[in-house]
Amino acid sequence: MSFHSPILTIKGVSFSYNHHREILSDINFSLSRGELLGIIGPNGSGKTTLLKVISGILKPSKGSILLLNQDLNNFSIEKIAKFISVVPQDTWVAFNFKAKEVVFMGRLPYISRLKGETLEDYRISREAMKKTHSLSLSENNIQEISGGERQRIFMAKALAQTPQLLLLDEFTSHLDLKYKYEMLNLLKKALQEEGLTIISIFHDLNLASIASDRLILLNEGRIEQIGTPQEVLNSENLQKVYGVKPILINHPDLNVPQVIM
Amino acid sequence: MKFSINKSPKEIAGYTNWQKKLILMILGGSLGILGVSLICLNFGVVSIHPKEIFSLIWNSSLDKTNSLIVWQLRAPRIIMATLTGIALATVGGAFQGILRNPLADPYILGVSAGAALGACIGIALQYATGYYLASYLPLFAFLGAMLSLYLVYLSSKISYSVNSTGLLLAGVAINFLFSALITVLLALSKRELHSMIFWLMGDLSTADWKKISLITLPVIIGCLLLFFSSLDLNALSLGEEEALHLGVNTGKLRMRIFFIGSIIIATVVSFTGLIGFVGLIIPHIARLLIGPDHRVMLPASALLGAIFLILCDTLARMVISPSEIPIGAITALVGAPMFIYLLRRK
Repeated sequence: MSFHSPILTIKGVSFSYNHHREILSDINFSLSRGELLGIIGPNGSGKTTLLKVISGILKPSKGSILLLNQDLNNFSIEKIAKFISVVPQDTWVAFNFKAKEVVFMGRLPYISRLKGETLEDYRISREAMKKTHSLSLSENNIQEISGGERQRIFMAKALAQTPQLLLLDEFTSHLDLKYKYEMLNLLKKALQEEGLTIISIFHDLNLASIASDRLILLNEGRIEQIGTPQEVLNSENLQKVYGVKPILINHPDLNVPQVIM
Repeated sequence: MKFSINKSPKEIAGYTNWQKKLILMILGGSLGILGVSLICLNFGVVSIHPKEIFSLIWNSSLDKTNSLIVWQLRAPRIIMATLTGIALATVGGAFQGILRNPLADPYILGVSAGAALGACIGIALQYATGYYLASYLPLFAFLGAMLSLYLVYLSSKISYSVNSTGLLLAGVAINFLFSALITVLLALSKRELHSMIFWLMGDLSTADWKKISLITLPVIIGCLLLFFSSLDLNALSLGEEEALHLGVNTGKLRMRIFFIGSIIIATVVSFTGLIGFVGLIIPHIARLLIGPDHRVMLPASALLGAIFLILCDTLARMVISPSEIPIGAITALVGAPMFIYLLRRK
């Protein structure tokens, strides 16, 4: 175990809209730098809400969130934007910007509204497109490219934001096998070389198992279990949470559990 | 070596230099406004030779009557049209931005209906009491606009939804309420009906230097403030949450644009009445021509709006001269086919 102080600590966080039913109840975990934490769970288990609470869009009704050992409430949204970036599940852009202009918007937290951007902002945006293999899309209109291409552009935008913590909501949903593979490699590299930390929601349990260092299994707003993929993905947990009895096998190369129906 | 360093470094990363684009556009647009103004100065009921107009611009003491026509009638109208066009098109573009809705126009958030109700009450009072209130109509209109601004603000605060839908619904609701009251006034009116309808359709014929001096500062300062929110408006195009993730306080941004835009519109509309279509279509044309980046799109809208309205007002004066067609009808009659043509070409 490393002695790095955690980048993110969630303490007893609950969330409900206007005191109705709790969508999240008593969530506790912490995250060290360079870790990829996967969130899995059935529909309506609170995965996206948890991501929104962490990114500061929703305020928890109970508990506290510490980002780099400081309460998230002390951060303005301008400041949060310099630490956390988010790749949303679905993206709809109101006006027909070019893809490169969308990527460039990732630099907004750093751009003075009076002085304007610098050459460095352009360089970082371009670098982010190169990393996500989306440089060839840069002149395309964002409303006219496919869902998977748009996801790569939004990933590039999130990287251009140079975050310390990257939040992903189902970022592979529209990606084909090739780009799934390349995006995973990209993220692995960013985790190891740039000290990025990632929290990602997965619907695909097998991908979650391959990609994540640890997994959180959410069930009705509570953490059913948190641990390595080997610990979390067992037939007892899956049957309890998803209500089906799948077959689990071991991935021959990676030695992580894989779920087959 | 020295040359490659000087070679506009901002273009190296594949990003075009938007400042250069902006400066060129402002230069071109200003020349365009100037050119169109000079040409339109020649049209009118009384024909004055262009040569004479040109010399009257430099020296107004040559011919008293013609100097009066050029300096007190035609020039104020052209400048009023310029300022009104700038205001309507810029605010239209900014409102489309905060509402993330290309169908929004400067009147959608209720301020115009308030102004119209104020003006109609003023007109009705004038006929009912016999006092001459025509010169106070802008005050009536402005007070009405401020009332609607306040009501929209209050209702959007009460509204459960914190995103742009709340503001939009509040604006639409107040619009309907005030329009209904205007309809009641129109139904009850007799002789005053004509003045009311003319006000509702927009009219630049009462333009004079005093009115211009009153609206210039609010329009120029207001539009500059809107231009400074361009990057935040860009972020908002990605969506409410996306903009928050980029550090843009969307709630504050929306209220800021709503207030600045509404005050600009209230000031202008109080003097000109409701000139439609400009604020809806000009931002679209600007987007088709130079793209959606608000940093260039809003200034482009301002310039195009000015040129468009100068031309429309000249047509309004000329088509059935010596009578006039309301300019609001001209903007739609000319603008709609032009817009459809541009859409098809795209």
